[in-house]
Amino acid sequence: MADEKKSKPRHRTMVFESIYPVLALMLILVACVDLCDAATVVDVYRLIQYDISGVPFGSRFSSLNHHAASLSFQPGADLSRSVLILPLRELDIGFVQDYISQKQSLGGLLILLPQMFRPGNVGGGSNGLISETEGFRKLLAQLEKLLVHGNIPFPVYFAFENEETDAMLADVKKNDALGQQATATTGGYKLVISVSEPKKIASPTITNIQGWLPGSRADGDSNQLPTIAVVASYDTFGAAPALSVGSDSNGSGVVALLEVARLFSILYSNPKTRGRYNLLFALTSGGPYNYEGTQKWLKSLDQRMRESIDYAICLNSVGSWDNELLIHVSKPPDNVNVKQIFQGFSNVAEDLGFQVALKHKKINISNSRVAWEHEQFSRLRVTAATLSELSTPPELLEDAGSLSDTRQFVNEDGIIKGVKLVAESLARHIYGHQGKDIRIFADDSSLAVNPFYVRSWLDLLSQTPRVAPFLSKNEPLIMALKKELEDYTAEVSVQHESLEGSFTFYDSTKASLNIYQVASVTFDLLLLLVLGSYLIVLFSFLVITTRGLDDLISLFRRPPSRKVKMA
Amino acid sequence: MTLFHFFNCAILTFGPHAVYYSATPLSEYDTLRTCVKAAVVYLATALVKLVCLATFLQVSETEVFDPYQEALKAMIGFIDVAGLYYALTQLTHRNISQNHKFQSVGLGWAFADSVLHRLAPLWVGARGLEFTWDYVLQGLEANANLVFTISLAALGSLMWLRKNKPKTLIPLIYICAVIISTMPSITSYLRRVMGWHFPKIVGFELITSLVMAFISCQLFILCQRPSL
Repeated sequence: MADEKKSKPRHRTMVFESIYPVLALMLILVACVDLCDAATVVDVYRLIQYDISGVPFGSRFSSLNHHAASLSFQPGADLSRSVLILPLRELDIGFVQDYISQKQSLGGLLILLPQMFRPGNVGGGSNGLISETEGFRKLLAQLEKLLVHGNIPFPVYFAFENEETDAMLADVKKNDALGQQATATTGGYKLVISVSEPKKIASPTITNIQGWLPGSRADGDSNQLPTIAVVASYDTFGAAPALSVGSDSNGSGVVALLEVARLFSILYSNPKTRGRYNLLFALTSGGPYNYEGTQKWLKSLDQRMRESIDYAICLNSVGSWDNELLIHVSKPPDNVNVKQIFQGFSNVAEDLGFQVALKHKKINISNSRVAWEHEQFSRLRVTAATLSELSTPPELLEDAGSLSDTRQFVNEDGIIKGVKLVAESLARHIYGHQGKDIRIFADDSSLAVNPFYVRSWLDLLSQTPRVAPFLSKNEPLIMALKKELEDYTAEVSVQHESLEGSFTFYDSTKASLNIYQVASVTFDLLLLLVLGSYLIVLFSFLVITTRGLDDLISLFRRPPSRKVKMA
Repeated sequence: MTLFHFFNCAILTFGPHAVYYSATPLSEYDTLRTCVKAAVVYLATALVKLVCLATFLQVSETEVFDPYQEALKAMIGFIDVAGLYYALTQLTHRNISQNHKFQSVGLGWAFADSVLHRLAPLWVGARGLEFTWDYVLQGLEANANLVFTISLAALGSLMWLRKNKPKTLIPLIYICAVIISTMPSITSYLRRVMGWHFPKIVGFELITSLVMAFISCQLFILCQRPSL
């Protein structure tokens, strides 16, 4: 008997113990609230986050879980738990500036860009909207400058307008105008981006690709032949690294370099037409960061090779100009070499029907800022010039692939004219035809500039964001550029360097935004009340119809008869 | 607040069954076992229906109302009626009056139907952040379904368990039974051909269920008179 009694509690405890894992499983299941079934999911691109010598810039946070608010919010409302949705069309720069400079707390900022700025969107708008487009570009440039150089303590994301965001924004504006700002108790839209906190990119690499096309050696070593270098930096920097495609800066320069390489490879493939100059083509990285890649590449060159460089032409933004290209030099204009280069270029330009102008900017050795790529050459005593449509050098981290620099604003005719200019000038110098009116790369010859080549490479580059710290060593684009140079030159070498200096970058550049339409707590409570009363009414109804009203009343009264019996 | 919404929809979907059981004399006569047996029969019937549907039905890509497919679905729907027949007549119940028998069978049947069809979508869907009215409407549909099933069980018991019925009422009984058992086909017709949205369909189901309940109640009372 005692054993039976003991075994019963033991049996009971065993049953209870076996329930625990089931209970734990149930609790885990309950805790997994799935957030992945939003009605709307939008691709968003984060503002860049970087440090210069430890000083933080850009947006410092990445994850977002707040209600949506629009510009029509009531003045004085607390937005520290809301995400402000700003379409570019209604942007007021002063407002954003105030918000950032006064360090007012905001849950997040979502900037909606018109579809025309989307990298894959080649179809330009109708001509009637050109002034509007220009206005947007200016506004976007101002906004970028403000955001890139500020230290912003909340997440900032860029997204492209589509129907769903338009509908949501209209709804949010309506609610805000009525004064019902979205919070936990009033419902509305909730924007959720769930990504991990951004981490520093450990050792960002910059990759330089160089192609060497040797000239014909009459007698002696080809290393003793003079060299002409054509250089372009291919990486970009912009407010949103995942959108920074830099069609003009410097996609146009890269395309021009590739086309010049192709033309000269045709010429040099035949020993009879091979010139007595070596040609060195270099695609450098690290452009926005004071042309660090160019400096490292030059330093890595053999000293003899560097000394054999007659002059170098750097290409920077040749995609949107009409009548005039500028040649920027750091040596004074009355220098013999500079004069010779400029003369050659301006003769060719005259023949081709446009103008080139010379601009001189002295290098300030004490200033670490490198304004043009040719300055890196000049610092190592190599004659160089930059061919560009820009008249003033871009500021640090600006105009190097901004959000408004997309494919539709690049004119491929400009690139083709630039290619003709560079190729003809180099050819006249190499083959000794200076001053003669000879067109080597004439339009209907076998050496004509190929517009389809230019267009296809330009389209490709305009869909590939190229911010150097986010490019891996074996990035497909780098492999493609290497292969292209391998087709046109004899020797290609790829140099990987790490981006030193004072720049530190953080990852997490792209995310998915989930937009949920949520109901407020009051709604749930109301629903509970309604359902509770419905069930009570149902209960009473059923009791009355099946057992009678007396039974219903007797449910609530203690039966007195039992007490009488007990007594 | 999402678990809150799940809780709300759950009590809307499954609450009325519990309320029905406790409010009516079913709880006094301890008819739980009958309900459980009816639920098991429903499970078996659902499995058979699934196999038949998988074998005979062609899945159409678009939401087109194909009369032949719908007729086939209705045929397979009669397996439901066969299951109900089995539950009402073949299962050995304890001595409970006919009144309570059909109620408990109907209740068990409807509860199993709700659990099988509605619990999983509710669990997966109502807990998310996004708010939709779908699950509240689903709960209302479950209520309508409960009334339908009990009416069908009442008519079934009239058809198969009661021997002496007034001759004039027999066709009416059969007509009502046919209407109730083809309700799924009627709702799918409404959804596809007439293009009604879910709230409208649920409203229609609720009204129809109340009307049917009233009619079957009247029929039951009318048929009870001669035996008195």
